Amino acid sequence: MESSSSKITDEIRAEASRLLSSGEVAAFLGFVPGSLPMTVRPFVARSSEDAARLVWNSFCVMNLANYLPEVLKSVEPPRGPGDPEPEGPLPRVGVLATGCWSRNMVVQIQENRIQRDRVVILGISSRGMVDRKKVLARLGGREALKVEEQDHSLLVSGRAFNEEIPRWEVVRDNCRSCVHPDPVIWDIMIGERAGDRQNANRFAQVEEIESLAPEERWAWFQEEISSCIRCYACRNACPLCYCPTCFVDDSRPQWVGKSIEPVDTAIFHILRAYHCAGRCTDCGACESACPMGIRMRLFTKKLEKDVLEMYGAEAGMDPETPLPLSTFSPDDPQDFIVTGQESPKSTGDEAGRSGEVSQS
Amino acid sequence: METKKWEPRIVAFLCNWCSYAGADLAGVSRYQYPPSLRIIRVPCSGRVSANMVLDALKSGADGVLVSGCHPGDCHYISGNMYARRRLALLKSLLEFIGIEPERFNVSWISASEGKQFAEVAREVTEKVRALGPARHLVKDF
Amino acid sequence: MKVYKISREGLDKWIKHWTESYDVFGPVEKNENGMTDWAEVKGLDEISTAPGTTKQPIKTFYLPQPETLFTFTSRGGEPDSDVLKETLDEGRPRVLFGVRPCDARSVTLNGLAYEEDPYYMANVERTLLVGVSCREQCGTCFCRWVGGSPFGTEGLDILLIETEQNFVAEALTDRGVSLVEAGGGAREASGEDLAMVESMRQEAEQAMSAMPDTAETLRSKDLMSMYNADFWGGLSESCINCGACTFLCPTCYCFDIQDEVVRKKGRRIRYWDSCMFPLFTQHASGHNPRGQKVQRVRNRFMHKLKYFPDRFGPVSCVGCGRCIRECPVNIDIREVLRDLLGVE
Repeated sequence: MESSSSKITDEIRAEASRLLSSGEVAAFLGFVPGSLPMTVRPFVARSSEDAARLVWNSFCVMNLANYLPEVLKSVEPPRGPGDPEPEGPLPRVGVLATGCWSRNMVVQIQENRIQRDRVVILGISSRGMVDRKKVLARLGGREALKVEEQDHSLLVSGRAFNEEIPRWEVVRDNCRSCVHPDPVIWDIMIGERAGDRQNANRFAQVEEIESLAPEERWAWFQEEISSCIRCYACRNACPLCYCPTCFVDDSRPQWVGKSIEPVDTAIFHILRAYHCAGRCTDCGACESACPMGIRMRLFTKKLEKDVLEMYGAEAGMDPETPLPLSTFSPDDPQDFIVTGQESPKSTGDEAGRSGEVSQS
Repeated sequence: METKKWEPRIVAFLCNWCSYAGADLAGVSRYQYPPSLRIIRVPCSGRVSANMVLDALKSGADGVLVSGCHPGDCHYISGNMYARRRLALLKSLLEFIGIEPERFNVSWISASEGKQFAEVAREVTEKVRALGPARHLVKDF
Repeated sequence: MKVYKISREGLDKWIKHWTESYDVFGPVEKNENGMTDWAEVKGLDEISTAPGTTKQPIKTFYLPQPETLFTFTSRGGEPDSDVLKETLDEGRPRVLFGVRPCDARSVTLNGLAYEEDPYYMANVERTLLVGVSCREQCGTCFCRWVGGSPFGTEGLDILLIETEQNFVAEALTDRGVSLVEAGGGAREASGEDLAMVESMRQEAEQAMSAMPDTAETLRSKDLMSMYNADFWGGLSESCINCGACTFLCPTCYCFDIQDEVVRKKGRRIRYWDSCMFPLFTQHASGHNPRGQKVQRVRNRFMHKLKYFPDRFGPVSCVGCGRCIRECPVNIDIREVLRDLLGVE
């Protein structure tokens, strides 16, 4: 039986080929197979021959929204700094989008990174992507030479072994806790929409950490980031990270040291996560990109939970709703505000005045 | 420092229009408060980014206080309202990764609240004093 | 070269003896995803026997991240105030046990660029390498392409070859011979052992013989004619421009230098930098000669395959396959080689 991924692949190829050959789009952003099992490579197709190479499977873990502004720029006619805007509409780009990626595109539209009318979105309801690291962990050092994907399992084979792994067990943590698998914005839908997913508790991982004592949480945080090599794969895989100069590259003032000293690594991860607050869609690209297996998604997931609880907002669900951190409500919670009422000497309103003492 | 009794060092980001004036009033009115605060005047509490808060902690501050105008009183109409969301999230994130929540404080102090400023300064200082010197995010070698 | 034969138990005793005067490190299974990484060990049983390479290359021992070059203080009145203090310290000698031949070669290759660097050379001086030959090639291994071998000895002090019951230890340097003697309990290998090792070596190299030896071809070819080739554009369109490939590469050795000052004391540190980052080439004026991603991607490969060989001879790649394995978007240096050389 044909797997759902290969059916989607066929449809993507057909649509991309049609869009490219009709000239509706100048480029189409998708994936081609990688050189190793369980890898794919983000790829910009520019012809229908290119489109025939596109593929869809459970290993499409990189967020294509991250590439979109750059590809849009690449199809614009070249112009110098002083040149006038070209006349007429600019060429369009086709792109694949699952639930989270489409939400990132909404954020990009809100932040003026892309224009809605310049993208043709092929929406796909995500079944959850597989975490290659989870598969490798199950193999315990044995090398997977071939991985065949079926709808509910992966057939892994290597030197002198064959193993069938139930698919859901190796799906990424972010996909396992996902509730919005369907695209929020799309032009052409590939396959059926699945509807919101019931999830017992999508913040279970975060709550587990919240329940620890402060010192235990600090120990967990230190352990989690201890293997960081500061390669910035997490930052660069993220569609939200596009500052022309990242805070890690600022030198006056220098916010964070450049090496892998624990304090520097900690500040990098705190600020990287914090800069995604209210914008992160939990696409998991950061974790998937990390060569060291750091679960930095947990930091942004915590922020996602707070934003939902405090402000009732989720990033990118609706282009008309402003991002939670670029708006406010007069009744936002502020129980954390210090008032001085717990001050040890706050009783007796004149008692604190030094002048009274010296004058008497 | 080894021989002297440890006193908390708290970096206080005070907005120019309310809290800095409140601190000034506390001084003019001779309200006594602990000498633990190192005041940095900023245009608005909305100007204070997470980078600055972490930079203070990295540089050895035992605590940080951000103070702005009361909601509704912002000189820039709504700077403190944006700040409220941002700082709430920062506080929660720092707590999540194991930083003691008492090290990071936010308050609203108007230009007429000299006494309240002294009380906030006392409260923050005593809370930080109870925790002892900061350890987690201080850069040292 | 002296060749010895040693049992598994004998190797364990070697390590235990060595720990008396050396810090001994080995590949240890510590990552959840079945990867191994370097850690201090006290015996053979701690060391992973998994095929392939460790997560991190051994450059962490030669180019520590960060490395303090000197320190200073500015406390008026104190005698050492405003004086730069050297931190070059030979430290305790150490043995890296279980180094793969590809990784061992990287020390020699990087040494070509760091010949005059006292910090690097001090680390070379105090680090002894005990290698293990590879019986299996992983899907990402390509040492033969770039002049290496699964039985390669370059850079090693001892090469261990696992035979059916025992190990054959080739002591390749004087330091290697003294290590064997310090370990004790080894017998000289018989002619039979030597023959067996030789046939294993041939078999392993045979298994990889299908791979092209690109090192020679690269040198003979005019690579600058490929400077503006189309494939660079496609490559850089996939690349996210992170530093995973360079930081995990055993032969990427670029660094930056910075003075760090906290509370009136300071130090000058050298830390890893990556040609993938725009800041790497950013001028003080703001101009960046490699401001575009495609230029940076091209530079990484051209440096390894063209500029380094032009200056020093060998290709600056040992074929360990880490960059292929760890690249988040599966950029494969073997495909770049194919594109550059037109080989299959």
